[in-house]
Amino acid sequence: MSQDRPAAPRPRLVVVGSGMAATRLVEELVARRAVATSSTSGGLDVTVLGDEHAPPYNRILLSAVLEGTHRPEALTLRSEEWYAEHGVDLRLGARVLGVDRERRDVMLVDGTLVEYDTLVLATGSIPSLPPIRGLVRMDGSLHEAVHAFRSLADCERLLAALPGSRRAVVVGGGLLGLQVARALGVRGIQTEVVEGAEHLLHQQISAPAGRILTRDLKKLGVAVYTGARAVRLVERTDGSDGPALRLDNGFTLDTDLVVLTAGGRPSTALARGAGLEVRRGIVVDDRLASVTDPSVHALGDCAEHDGRTTGFVPPAWEQAGILAANLSTRLCDESVRYDGTRVVARLRASDLDVAVLGDARAELDAGGEVVEVANPIAGSHRRIVVRDGRIVAATLVGDLSRVGLITQHFDRRTVLGPHEPGELLLPERTGDAGNGAGPWSLPDDAEVCACAGVTAGRIRACSSLEQVRDDTRATTGCGGCASTVRQLLSRRTDTAELATAQKGT
Amino acid sequence: MDATRTHCPYCSLQCGMAISRVATGSAARRVAIEIGPWAEFPVNEGALCRKGWTAGGLRGSRERLTSPMVRDRATGELRTASWDEALDLVARRIAVLQAAHGNDAVAVFGGGGLTNEKAYQLGRFARVALGTSQIDYNGRWCMSSAASAGNQAFGVDRGLPFPLADVEQADVVVLVGSNLAETMPPAARHLDRLRERGGKVVVIDPRLTPTGERADLLLQPVPGTDLALALGVLHLLDAQGAVDEEYVARRTTGFDDVRRAAAAWWPERVERTTGIATDELHALVALLASADKVMVLTARGAEQHAQGTATVLGWIDVALALGMPGKEYAGYGCLTGQGNGQGGREHGQKADQLPGYRMIDDPAARAHVAQVWGVAPESLPGKGRSAYELLDALGQDGGPKALLVHASNIVVSAPNATHVTRRLEALDLLVVCDIVMSETAALADVVLPVTQWAEETGTMTNLEGRVILRQRAVTPPEGVRSDLDVIAGLAERLGSPIPFSTDPEEIFAELGRASAGGKADYSGISYERIVEEQGVFWPCPAAPAGESPHPGTPRMFADSFATPDGRARFVVPEYVGPAEEPDPSYPLHLTTGRVLSQYQSGAQTRRIRDLPDEGAFVEMHPMLAERIGAHDGRPVVVRTRRGELKAPARIVTTIRPDTVFVPFHWVGANRLTNDALDPSSRMPEFKVCAAAVLV
Repeated sequence: MSQDRPAAPRPRLVVVGSGMAATRLVEELVARRAVATSSTSGGLDVTVLGDEHAPPYNRILLSAVLEGTHRPEALTLRSEEWYAEHGVDLRLGARVLGVDRERRDVMLVDGTLVEYDTLVLATGSIPSLPPIRGLVRMDGSLHEAVHAFRSLADCERLLAALPGSRRAVVVGGGLLGLQVARALGVRGIQTEVVEGAEHLLHQQISAPAGRILTRDLKKLGVAVYTGARAVRLVERTDGSDGPALRLDNGFTLDTDLVVLTAGGRPSTALARGAGLEVRRGIVVDDRLASVTDPSVHALGDCAEHDGRTTGFVPPAWEQAGILAANLSTRLCDESVRYDGTRVVARLRASDLDVAVLGDARAELDAGGEVVEVANPIAGSHRRIVVRDGRIVAATLVGDLSRVGLITQHFDRRTVLGPHEPGELLLPERTGDAGNGAGPWSLPDDAEVCACAGVTAGRIRACSSLEQVRDDTRATTGCGGCASTVRQLLSRRTDTAELATAQKGT
Repeated sequence: MDATRTHCPYCSLQCGMAISRVATGSAARRVAIEIGPWAEFPVNEGALCRKGWTAGGLRGSRERLTSPMVRDRATGELRTASWDEALDLVARRIAVLQAAHGNDAVAVFGGGGLTNEKAYQLGRFARVALGTSQIDYNGRWCMSSAASAGNQAFGVDRGLPFPLADVEQADVVVLVGSNLAETMPPAARHLDRLRERGGKVVVIDPRLTPTGERADLLLQPVPGTDLALALGVLHLLDAQGAVDEEYVARRTTGFDDVRRAAAAWWPERVERTTGIATDELHALVALLASADKVMVLTARGAEQHAQGTATVLGWIDVALALGMPGKEYAGYGCLTGQGNGQGGREHGQKADQLPGYRMIDDPAARAHVAQVWGVAPESLPGKGRSAYELLDALGQDGGPKALLVHASNIVVSAPNATHVTRRLEALDLLVVCDIVMSETAALADVVLPVTQWAEETGTMTNLEGRVILRQRAVTPPEGVRSDLDVIAGLAERLGSPIPFSTDPEEIFAELGRASAGGKADYSGISYERIVEEQGVFWPCPAAPAGESPHPGTPRMFADSFATPDGRARFVVPEYVGPAEEPDPSYPLHLTTGRVLSQYQSGAQTRRIRDLPDEGAFVEMHPMLAERIGAHDGRPVVVRTRRGELKAPARIVTTIRPDTVFVPFHWVGANRLTNDALDPSSRMPEFKVCAAAVLV
């Protein structure tokens, strides 16, 4: 009936960015068969514009690459061939200059125009430049000793600088800063961390926990200066080549490298330029559409939903799933809504154990109660914030033995009993092992061999292992009772003696 | 009196045993069975568990069925009937139902406990005598996910592609969701010898079991997250450069996509999903990366999920990335569950397969089998419904109206059992062949008493792909017939175009011809060879005249895989997670499994006096017990969206605090379980669902 009608043009989806949020979005669209390919009739024409030159990679593992525990080639999330196979037009090294919402197109630096029906901004965040004089040279470029740590290119540049370097200063004592500092330490670089706040990870953990972390780092050879701001990059005073970083407490740290990890901010320049509402991030509604223009969406680090920006991968991926669902079911008007995500932040660095679940400060303000076990001597500090029986936040430093279970309870909002939060911070119960009772104290009717159903009493009635085997078949099944049987046999002769001795104690 | 060398009636280990007959009274029929060791059989070397030692206990039991029974229309009660009356009745009603509703109105449900001959004959009976496509079996609920994964990755599904004793020679053995020390105790000797040699054992299980007690490294993940763990292992192997690139390039295809997928599973993400702390994951990877010979073995814990196939594929990917499959004393294997779980899936009682592991929709396979059977290829029906889908369709519009059940106790063992029981009750005709009045037999319109293991001869294929012979040691009680007799009797009454033999050896020879050229080729195997060689490993094609016989295939994949290009395939497994996640109303994970002293639905073991029958229990951690006020030994109620079970609490520190465990041998456990199915294997999600526990 419609054979003469030309096929309707396929809706064009343009994604700006090829970071983790954008990659996930494309994966979700492919999984939902929402992308047009040569062999399908419907679906979206999808174009991905990434300004980096590397194919999409796992950004959060860059510090592991720096540390040397992760091969850089193993970072790649999707190859260029994969995009081609699934009908997605991936353009790498394609920096977007501007968005024209009237004409519905984006312009690349080379002047190319890319038209869209739906635009997704997944521009991520950009590292903040701390107010340190001398970081930027007259021509606007960074001082050669100064490194950002956001992209694979940053990581490669820093790795390339390591061979000629002995010392490094990391500016910023947040999660990324500590990972980078530890990685440099593992690489044999004498590393110092400068943090303006009074303690490390000040946004996430309490001062005592921060002090433990400082001590841990010192043990690993990384010096920490807290409550100190770097104010100026200067020449070294001793006449040797290289820069030095002057702090506001009077110290001057000679160094070969300065790594900036003082946080980032949502990359919103494109959105601003296009006249979209931007506060800290690009303001989106529950469908992750811009509140200014429903044909433009934003997700990941650059988006602001319900007054919050996130900066973590799991919420960005959750958003990607929701946006993909919305984009692929536009016609059925059945949309999934985003309602925020619980955040679990983990420090990724060898021999540094930190987990931060939720926002402890906000939960305390909301009436949460603290259950805390600190052992500064052993180097651990663990705090759980509980509200209405649920773990709503937690900070674990130095001892992550129960992190798996605590995270499960946190994620699933499990209502716990009154003793549980405390117990989660104590050593695990291990049954009756360790109470000192050996097999010889087993009562005669206790089953020793489950395979053959043999009790301690029947073993005691035997005089040798051979007799046990022949008469009872104990030890001949899975063999798990062999050591118990041997002990029962060896104690057989002096059981009476032992029983007397036990009574005496 | 000479002892008969045979094999245990229970699990897939098929331990060798020697049966002697002992007269217990003056009457000639009062002959009891005494079970002794058969020390030379290499799988168990004379060892048995208490189930094996006491297996003779059903002999002479008053609960043994010895006469057919037919439900009386007037009273609604079962009454005894003659064999002729019972078989005539069944045949007549089948004919009426098929005339009214078509051939597919009659369905057949088999079991992984049937001998190869019975499984083969049952498939032949369904396709030829009944002309129905509706046949499947409880093996779907056993190792089907591993079977599906093995076919995808290696082009063939044989549980273990090497003898079990090879375990002893590995460097690291990873058991994913296996509690072999309790479910197949004699197998544990191989683990113990491995450890004596200095090898390491890794156990992955939400519970610390007797198998876990043997572990050098025990990981207790959230139920249903084993795949995320496998992806995490792959991630770290690749990150550290521990992938055997030379092997991957030479012997496999598809690794690049797996590598990219694994790049998104960094340790902290795995930790959040699985509950396994990153340092434990690192410890596992360090162990794997440093070992020369790694063996990865999955069992029901990994397989009985709506993502069971993907989970097994994830672990196969690990084994392939390490370059293990095909290497001596290394590789991947599945520890099959049921006695003939392996053989049962090879010879045609699966909805989509013909004998020899041939696919029923393959024209060449149809032509070959039709020729062996002496029927026209186009007379063979096509693909039928998988086990759970078949049961779900019973009595529904377009679904079967009659069901013949062999070697399965559906009421106890099916997931979402309340629903399945209702479906069975909706049938016009339910016929159950069993040795005792099982819960399913009790619902039947006709119950046919059949022989048990020591009373009949037939082959089984154990978890290693070793074809073994169970020999008749005693005369069956009077009034009892073999399933083979039932099949032949019905086929004749239904006017089957081809005859049905009742002689196992004759059937085995035909099975061999039907399997010839298929993946599971038995054509070179004979009863004689099995006895002489302590079993023969398939594939074992018949040798052309004048050539020496094929030796069988104890170890597979040394040179090539069973795929068209000879390479193993990496398949990208997408992690989705359990079909049902905990929520405020059902805040816990429920998992199920076995205990040592019972087997499957317990129809046999619960009737054996010397096996303790303690009933179901609800295993939970003290933290959970304290939260809900449960006390050890006192009853609690487990509730899921599908049903409830009341049983005593068993409070142990060996289980995850967010998980409860219920053994599945007793009625009730499977009223709780989820019937979400794996898209490829059609395996139900027995091993995890959301539950609440109330005091």
